[in-house]
Amino acid sequence: MVTDQIVFMSTGILLVFLGIASISYSKNLIKTVMSFQVVLLGANLALFSSGLNGSLSTVVGTRLTTDSFVFLSILVGASVEAVGLAIVVNVYRKYGTLNPSEIRKLRH
Amino acid sequence: MASELLSIAISAVILATVLVALFSKKVSVSLIALFWASTLSGVVFTAYGDALVGLMQIVTFSGAVSVLFLTVILMTGESKLDIGATRLGIMAVAGALVLVILALTQVAPGLVGLSPSEYTDVSLTTFSFLWQFRPWDLLILVTVFASAMVTVANLFSRET
Repeated sequence: MVTDQIVFMSTGILLVFLGIASISYSKNLIKTVMSFQVVLLGANLALFSSGLNGSLSTVVGTRLTTDSFVFLSILVGASVEAVGLAIVVNVYRKYGTLNPSEIRKLRH
Repeated sequence: MASELLSIAISAVILATVLVALFSKKVSVSLIALFWASTLSGVVFTAYGDALVGLMQIVTFSGAVSVLFLTVILMTGESKLDIGATRLGIMAVAGALVLVILALTQVAPGLVGLSPSEYTDVSLTTFSFLWQFRPWDLLILVTVFASAMVTVANLFSRET
């Protein structure tokens, strides 16, 4: 039987894999940071869904534990993205491009 | 049953917006799609019992991070994103992954980290947060939404 937990867990795992694949193939640093946000979104969704089984004890711990982890993950993820975007701006100012392979050539 | 249908519909919309965000060539379209994906996941968190996490998700990702993305896009002047010829390959892998994960959840729920089903139906209380919010919470939420949407709509006026 398909429950909400299964649906959201599947969606979360799929989003994580989609984001990782997009990070691997991305040729733009802004796109890379966007893909990281997708990974984060999927991880948060999967973590949140692990506490949706209606009982007090869940896969990770109690429902409160999963919610706390999601809260912490949101805050840390937003900070990491802010730092990543600052690095992107600095890289663009120094090299004039956001293509990682071109940046690698310009370094040598 | 209505709860499951609702969760499937929301998940499908989240997946669609994320696919648009990842595979769109215009960065403004990607940003708007990402905004809606973050907002929808915040709605999921709120609807399924954690309004604080949902509000934090909306304020942080749909508000602050979207504005940060917008600033970086305007500073760098990036209007198009090149994803190469790997689009179809990624979509095929994603489709195969969906089938595998759904099959695993049906055959062996323990393998994908799911607990035994002691699940309670939340269909009656799914959207009860809509009328349980205090006026100040609603005001803050509407302000965040409005400011984020006005800022993102600025993308179109600059044609980036």
